[in-house]
Amino acid sequence: MIINRYFRPLKQTAMNSLKLLKQLYPLPLTSVNGTLFPLFFLAFFTTKSAQAAELKVCKTCDFKTVTSAVKAAKPHDRILVQPGYYAESNIEIKKPLQLIGVGKPVIDAKNKGGIFQVETRNVLIKGFELRNVEVSYLRDFAAIKVYEGAHVTISDNLIKNAFFGIYLQRTDSCTVARNVVEGQARTETTSGNAIHLWYSDFITITDNKTSGHRDGIYLEFAKRSTIKDNLSFGNIRYGLHFMFSDGNVYTHNTFRNNGAGVAVMYTRDIVMQHNTFEHNWGPAAYGLLLKDISRSTISNNRFIKNTAGIYMEGSTYLHIEKNTFQGNGWALRVISSCSEDTFRLNNFMSNTFDVSTNASSASNYFSHNYWDKYEGYDLNKDRIGDVPYRPVSLYSLVVERVPSSIMFLRSFIVDLMDRMEKVIPSFTPEMLKDDSPVLRQHAYDHA
Amino acid sequence: MKPLFLLLTLSFFTLVFTSCEVKKQPIAYGQANCAHCQMTVSDKRYGAELVLKTGKALFFDSAECLIQYLEEKPEEKDKTQMFLVTNFNKPEDLLDADKAIFLQSKNLPSPMGMFLTAFENRAAATEMHKQQGGRILTWNEAVQAVKNNEKPQ
Repeated sequence: MIINRYFRPLKQTAMNSLKLLKQLYPLPLTSVNGTLFPLFFLAFFTTKSAQAAELKVCKTCDFKTVTSAVKAAKPHDRILVQPGYYAESNIEIKKPLQLIGVGKPVIDAKNKGGIFQVETRNVLIKGFELRNVEVSYLRDFAAIKVYEGAHVTISDNLIKNAFFGIYLQRTDSCTVARNVVEGQARTETTSGNAIHLWYSDFITITDNKTSGHRDGIYLEFAKRSTIKDNLSFGNIRYGLHFMFSDGNVYTHNTFRNNGAGVAVMYTRDIVMQHNTFEHNWGPAAYGLLLKDISRSTISNNRFIKNTAGIYMEGSTYLHIEKNTFQGNGWALRVISSCSEDTFRLNNFMSNTFDVSTNASSASNYFSHNYWDKYEGYDLNKDRIGDVPYRPVSLYSLVVERVPSSIMFLRSFIVDLMDRMEKVIPSFTPEMLKDDSPVLRQHAYDHA
Repeated sequence: MKPLFLLLTLSFFTLVFTSCEVKKQPIAYGQANCAHCQMTVSDKRYGAELVLKTGKALFFDSAECLIQYLEEKPEEKDKTQMFLVTNFNKPEDLLDADKAIFLQSKNLPSPMGMFLTAFENRAAATEMHKQQGGRILTWNEAVQAVKNNEKPQ
């Protein structure tokens, strides 16, 4: 009796859900436990495959515009857009769909708003050429905008002259791959970012090429994302820009000739590996700008010909190792608020200044780096210099205080000053030295 | 000879005085770096500025950066003559920060993540509030919001 009293309600709810199932899937369902389950699955798959249809869009097809095809399509349909020119904008996608461009059809927004606006899950947008997205001060129009969506794949598109290229807002688990986003930005204010993430998690961004925008790839409040094999060049501000975005990984990217390099700010737990930062020149340019970041790894990167390879401020507990710094104005600029950072096994070659700092004392740790300016000796032949190397020259301290003194670079008096300081260190930070400078360059294959 | 000399000294003095005059300076967007976060100041709707008593101007990419800068370096407050923020409706128009009215709305993200937008007066802020929602703050309230890291959800 007791058992019955307790179990009857349960049994009833089970029966109710069964009725519901019968309504949803008009297939013979039996209440026998053994057959119910496989039948349920069968029903699920048959209904799905019966629904999925292919809709073609072209000048002579049933659907003349992408908008009309999207409207008519049922969830999970596939829309195949044939080659051609379509002047359309603000296409809203609110059901799971696959939109595939066959032979790169062109969709031109003609500077009226954005192009695709996705507000659902499971959407594929592939193989389009998207042009001329409106520039607005109040609204962030984008060629492809995903708003509160998930599992959206955006791949193999060519986006030209857009305000924002690909914009993910409050999304998760999306993929952005093999897109080319080319802007024509002249000023920072009239251009958005090529790939923009805002409150988006678990995003994969791979093999994209971004140029001519404000920032190539921009992440704000974006967590646990992967950025790999991208090329970001000729953007007005940063090639890659992180803010308040913890736990991201970016590897094998190239950032070239951007207005100010790459900025990673106000974040922690970032992994930066095998990237190339090159040709970022200018009074306010850096290969990599680190501001208030902690507990991150920067390894196997190449910093080539930047005004400053890494400029760091307020950054703690970083592992900076196995990187190559070559031909930079400053390889490292470590501002006083940085501490507990480790610099190991790096190569420093033909930089004007290896390390500069404005601090008199710093608790950062240098070891086993290769410094081409090292003039020590190795009597015990263990390939490690017997006297410590002090990467901060007196002159770099002077330049840090009085920037205009840079005009005395390579003058006799500066040489004399630095020599004196090397013999009797009195101004340069006592603690900032490499006790075990390596005599031969580390051989790294950064690629 | 004499007038020439006079002219030269005059021009010299005008130069000296004009260069030290304490006044609003236009923000060089795309070139200036934010004195707090080091980012290039780029969004014309959000720039902010401090003019020191010496006439030197410090630029910020947003009001929140200016507030945080003064939080970290309170001694700078005494050296400062003018606290300026940008009028959202009229970029390049710099307002006195303590007279500006702020809207904190999740629909208007400012560059450094505090969603602060400045307006000339309460009427303009209310107008935008109708469209975008959020809450209206005075300068002091905005300072408190940044201090306590209060963001709209």
